[in-house]
Amino acid sequence: MKWLINIWKTLNKPAKYLTLGSISLTAFVMGILFWGGFNTALEATNTEEFCISCHSMESKPYQELQQTVHWSNHAGVRATCPDCHVPHDWSRKIARKMEASSDVWGWIFNTVNTSEKFEDKRLEMASREWARFDRDDSLACKNCHEYDSMKWDEMSTLAQKQMKRAAEKDQSCVDCHKGIAHKLPDMGDARAPQLIAEVGSGESQFSNDEYYFSALTKPLFFSPTGDVEAGTLNVATKVKVLETNGNRVKVTIAGWRKKIGASRVIYFDFGINMLTAQLSIEAAKTEGVITPFEEKEDELTGLKWQRVETTLWTEKEYLLTEQQPLWDYARTTFRKSCSVCHTQPDEAHFDANTWPGMFQGMIAFVNMDDDTQALVQKYLQTHSSTFVKKEH
Amino acid sequence: MKRRSFLKGILAASYTIATATSVLTPLSALAKTGAAKRDDWLTTGSHFGAFKIKRKNGVIDQVKPFDLDKYPTDMINGIKGMVYNPSRVRYPMVRLDFLLKGHKSDTTQRGNYRFVRVTWDQALTLFKNSLDNIQTNYGPSGLHAGQTGWRATGQLHSSTSHMQRAVGMHGNFVKKIGDYSTGAGQTILPYVLGSTEVYAQGTSWPLILDNANTIILWANDPYKNLQVGWNAETHESFEYLAQLKEKIKQGKIRVISIDPVASKTQDYLGCEKIYVNPQTDVALMLAIAYEIYNNDLHDKAFIEGYSLGFDRFVPYLTGEEDGIPKTVQWAEKITAVPADVIKQLAKTMVVGRTQILMGWCIQRQQHGEQPYWMAAVLATMIGQIGLPGGGISYGHHYSSIGVPATKASAPGGFPRNLDEGQKPIFDSTDFKGASSTIPVARWIDAILSPGKVIDANGGKVTYPDIKMMVFSGNNPWSHHQNRNQMKKAFHKLECVVSIDINWTATCRFSDIVLPACTTYERNDIDIYGSYAKRGVLAMQKMVDPLYNSLSDYEIFTRFAKLLGKEQEYTRGMTEFDWLKKLYNDCKDANSGQFEMPEFDQFWQDGYVHFGEGELWTRHADFRADPEINPLGTPSGMIEIHSRKIERYQYDDCKGHPTWMEKSERSHGGPGSDKHPIWMQSCHPDKRLHSQMCESKSYRETYSVQDREPVYLNPEDAKHRGIKDGDVVRVFNDRGQLLAGAVISDNFPKGVIRIHEGAWYGPVGDDGSTAAGAEIGAICSYGDPNTLTQDIGSSKLAQACSAYTCSVDYEKFVGHLPPVTSFNGPTEIAV
Repeated sequence: MKWLINIWKTLNKPAKYLTLGSISLTAFVMGILFWGGFNTALEATNTEEFCISCHSMESKPYQELQQTVHWSNHAGVRATCPDCHVPHDWSRKIARKMEASSDVWGWIFNTVNTSEKFEDKRLEMASREWARFDRDDSLACKNCHEYDSMKWDEMSTLAQKQMKRAAEKDQSCVDCHKGIAHKLPDMGDARAPQLIAEVGSGESQFSNDEYYFSALTKPLFFSPTGDVEAGTLNVATKVKVLETNGNRVKVTIAGWRKKIGASRVIYFDFGINMLTAQLSIEAAKTEGVITPFEEKEDELTGLKWQRVETTLWTEKEYLLTEQQPLWDYARTTFRKSCSVCHTQPDEAHFDANTWPGMFQGMIAFVNMDDDTQALVQKYLQTHSSTFVKKEH
Repeated sequence: MKRRSFLKGILAASYTIATATSVLTPLSALAKTGAAKRDDWLTTGSHFGAFKIKRKNGVIDQVKPFDLDKYPTDMINGIKGMVYNPSRVRYPMVRLDFLLKGHKSDTTQRGNYRFVRVTWDQALTLFKNSLDNIQTNYGPSGLHAGQTGWRATGQLHSSTSHMQRAVGMHGNFVKKIGDYSTGAGQTILPYVLGSTEVYAQGTSWPLILDNANTIILWANDPYKNLQVGWNAETHESFEYLAQLKEKIKQGKIRVISIDPVASKTQDYLGCEKIYVNPQTDVALMLAIAYEIYNNDLHDKAFIEGYSLGFDRFVPYLTGEEDGIPKTVQWAEKITAVPADVIKQLAKTMVVGRTQILMGWCIQRQQHGEQPYWMAAVLATMIGQIGLPGGGISYGHHYSSIGVPATKASAPGGFPRNLDEGQKPIFDSTDFKGASSTIPVARWIDAILSPGKVIDANGGKVTYPDIKMMVFSGNNPWSHHQNRNQMKKAFHKLECVVSIDINWTATCRFSDIVLPACTTYERNDIDIYGSYAKRGVLAMQKMVDPLYNSLSDYEIFTRFAKLLGKEQEYTRGMTEFDWLKKLYNDCKDANSGQFEMPEFDQFWQDGYVHFGEGELWTRHADFRADPEINPLGTPSGMIEIHSRKIERYQYDDCKGHPTWMEKSERSHGGPGSDKHPIWMQSCHPDKRLHSQMCESKSYRETYSVQDREPVYLNPEDAKHRGIKDGDVVRVFNDRGQLLAGAVISDNFPKGVIRIHEGAWYGPVGDDGSTAAGAEIGAICSYGDPNTLTQDIGSSKLAQACSAYTCSVDYEKFVGHLPPVTSFNGPTEIAV
C-alpha cells in the first residue's frame, strides 16, 4: 500500500516547474486530442460500414433492409443502420453505445453467427428494439417523418383515419409499422399480427366503469391471479371495466343466452347469433358468475333466450377504447379477401343470422387466422340488414 | 359511305395447327418472346391442370403435366388449341350498326355477326362514351357489370376483377348474388346446415376410405367433374378414387350411385347403380326417410341433440299433414325405383358408416332447394354428421375438396374494388328505387320486365331498368337458359361490351368486343391444388399476346388512363411489380409456417410446394360441442324444419323439405305427352363449361359431323330411325338445335344428354350466319340452353333451373346448315 500513498503524495504536490497555464493548456490539448479520438472512434462505430462488418449483421438485417423502401425509393433518400438504431442526441447516444457493448460479447461468443441462431434470437432482438422505439415514441423515425408535414389529402381514407388518430396522440410509429425495414420475427403463437399492427395492442391504464373493446378473442378468468380459465371473450366485444388488479382487469359482459345445453354462450342481443362470450361449463355452473334477467322466446327458432350479465377477469392487453379501428380493419380485409374470386356481397345484403352461414361456407378459400375470421364475421353481422337498413 | 363485306381468310376450312406458326403468330411476337431460353420447359397452369410447356420457333410446341400431377386430364391435349384457334378475337371490333348509330342502333340486328375492325383507342373511347351516356341518362341502375363467371386462372389477371375495378372507377352498377352452378344449394343450406356447404372444405378422403362402409353418390359424377378446378388443378382426388375402386373390388366399401344415367364415375368404379326417374329424387329420399322412421331406425339421440323441427316434419312424412304417406309404394310410382330396392337402401344406409356425397346437378332444377334439404334431413336421421366417413357432403366432386389441405395462405389477387377513399367519376348511388343486387340467373327477366318485384330469399327484389351490359371472361350466352328469350331481352339493350379471348356467342351478341390474350400470353401466379392448397405456381408467359390482344391488366390500364385514373388503377405498379407484391404478401402471410424463397428464386423454380395436408372431418367440432361450435343456422342446430323459411310463406319452398311436381317432367310428368324426353345438360367431360370448345382439333376428337354429341338411348333412337353418327334435331316450344347422335346404353329410355358449354351457333333458314340473329333460328352446333327454360328455382333462391327441361328429337333431314359457332364474325370494311 505504501507505493500507492507515495503516488498520491506526488500528484498532490503543487507544481514546481510548470505554470498553471501550461498545465491547463496541456490538459486542454490532451483533452481535445482525447475527445477527438474518442469521437472519431465513436463515429466510426456509427457508420453502416462498421455495423455490417459483423457477418451476422451483413447477412441478415442488412440484406433485408435492401429489399425495402428505406433502402431504395424515388426520392433517393436512404436510411442507414445508425439512422434508426442510434439516438442522435449525444447523451442518449453514449448510453446506447454503452448498452451496445453487449453486442461485442455476442460477436466474441458467436451468439448469432448462423442463420438458425439469428432466427432464434430475432424476436428477442426485435423486441428490445421495439421497446427502445416505444420509450422515445419512435424518435428515430420522427427525425425524418413528421406528423405535421404529412399530406393527408394524398393518403387513402383508411390511412388518413389511422394516421390522424396516431398524430393526435403523437403515437409511436412502430406501434403499427413493425417489420418495415427487416423481416418480422416469427411471433410464434402471436395471434393476428396484422390486425394488432393496425389497431394496436390496447390500453395500459383503465378507467373504472368505462367501456372497452376486445381486439382479439381473449381468455377470461375467475380471479385476478389464478390460471383457471372461465371461458373466452369474443373479438370486438364491448366490456365494462370495473377494476384493475395487477395484469388483469375485472370486466362485466352483458348479452343474451339461449336456454339450451349448459347455456354458456352469451350472444350480443336477443335472437342475434353474434358471439359475445363463451363460458366454460364450470363457470356457467358456478353460482354468481352469471346474473340472469328476463326470458323471451324467439319465434324464428322456438328457442328460449335469457338476458344475462357476467363479471370475470381478463388480461389487460388487447382492450381498446374504440371499436371503429376494428371495423375499419375488418372492412378492408373483407373487401380484399372476398373479392378475389367474386364480387363481395354488400354487408347489408344478408341479415345478422344469415351471415355466419354464408361466411362459414366460403372461408375455405380465404386466408384469415381465427381471430380475423371471427372479427370479419362479427363485422358483417354488425353491418348487416339487421342493423343497417338498406334496400338490396 | 361505301360498304364492302368479305369473309376473312381466318375462316379457311383448311386451317391446321401446322400453319398456325406462320399464319397466326405475328412476327413481332416471334421476335420478342420471353426472357427465358427458347428451349426451356416453362411452368404454367389453368383450370385444367398445372403444366410444363416447351416452345419451338416462338410458338407453343409441347404441353406436359406438372411433375406433381399424377392424374392429368385428357383435356391437356386441348391446351395448345386454346391459344392457336380460328375463334380468337384478333382485333377490337364493333358491331356495324352500333358503329354507325351508337345507342340508337337497330338492336334486332344484334347477333347478325357483322363487325368492323377498329383501333384500341377507338374501341376504348366508344366503351367510355357508352358508359358516360348510360350514367348520364339512367344512372347506375342502367348498367349491369356484375354478371361474372369462370374467367381464366391467374390471380393477377383475373378478368372480372380488372373489369369491375376499371368500370367501378367510372361509375356504380348493378351486381349479382349467387351463381349458376350452385344457386339453389348455396341459398337453402345456410338455413339447414348453417353454411353454403357447396364451397366448404369436406372430410378428407383418407378418413372416408378408412371409415365408410357405404358411400352414396347421389347425382354425382366426380370422375368427370374433378378434371377441372377453380385454380390450377393437380388432380390428387383421382388417387383416392383409385383407392376407392380398389376397396370396392375387395368388398370393403359399397358404393351406390343413384342417377338417371350411367355416369363416367359408375363406369370407372364399377359400383352399384340405382336408376331414378329424372327430377324425382326428393320422392325417393322421402320414401327412404319414411322407411327408416317407420322401422324406428332413426338416430333419436342425434336428432334430439343436434337438430330442430323433426316433429314438424314427421306429420308430412307420415301423411298426417297432406293425406299422403310417403311410402315406398308411393315413391315407386313417381321414381320408378322398386319398393323393395328402396327398403334395402334404407336399411343399408343406417347400418355401419354411410357417407352421402351429393352432386350439384339436382339443385339446378325447379325446386332445386328440396333435394339438398331432404338429403340433409336423411343424414340427420342416420345421425352420422360430424363422424369421419359419415354424414353428408355437397362438394367432393369439386376442385380437390376432400384432398387433405395444407393450412398455407394462397396468394391474393389484383384488387377488384376501388382502393379505400377512391370515388368513381359518376358516384351516384341512386338506383331509382330498384335493387342494386339481383339474383344471378334473373338478369334476363329483369331486362325484359324492369320494375317488376320478385320474392327472393325472404326479401323483395325490384328489377332495375338495365340498358347496358359489360362482360369480361364470362359467357352467359353459354350458361344462361333459353336463347330465344335472351335475344328478345338483348333487343332492349342499348349497348353490350364483351372482353374475351374468343368469339363466344356472348361476343356475337355484343356491340363492342375487345380481345384479351390467353393465360399463356402473360405472366401470373396461382395456387395449385385448388382447395388442397398444395403450393404456389408461377404462370410464365409462353408467347407474347397474339394479334392485337392485350392482357386484362393492360386493357384496363389503358381504359383507366382514358378516365384519367391510370395511377389510381395500377397504383403506379407494373405487371411484374404486382406479381412480386402478390407473391411477397403471400410469403409474409406464410412466414413462420411455410417458408417461401425470394421471388426471383420462385420464378426460376416455377413453384413453391407446401407439402402434405392435414386430415379433417367436416362438422366434427359441431358434433363435439354444438353449443360452443353451433352451425350458422338461426338456431345453431340442423334445421329439419325452418321457421324462418316457413314465415316467408312461399308456395314453392315451405317450412320443411317437400316433394313438388315440376312445371315439366318426363316419364309421365306434366307435358310428357308432348315432349317425352328429359334433356340432361350437365357439366361437360371435355371442356370447362364453354372453355376449350374453341380448341379445334381437340373438339374434333368428340364432335359428330362437326356437331356437339347428343347421347341417346338405343331404343328411343331406333324408334326414331336414328343411327349413331346421324345429325339429330332436338326441339321443344322454346327452340331447336342440331347435334350429332351418339347412341349409348348408359342413357335410359326417355333421357338424352347434351353437355352444357357447347357453343351457340344460330343459323338462319337460308343457311346464313346473319339470319341467326332471328328469334327461333336453329343452333347449328348443339347448345342445350337453346331449349332450357328461364325460371327461378323457387321464390327462395331464384336460381337457374336448367334441369327442368323436356324435349323431343328427330332425325334431321334436308340441307345441313354449316356450323356457325366458331371462326369469328363476318368482317365488314367501312
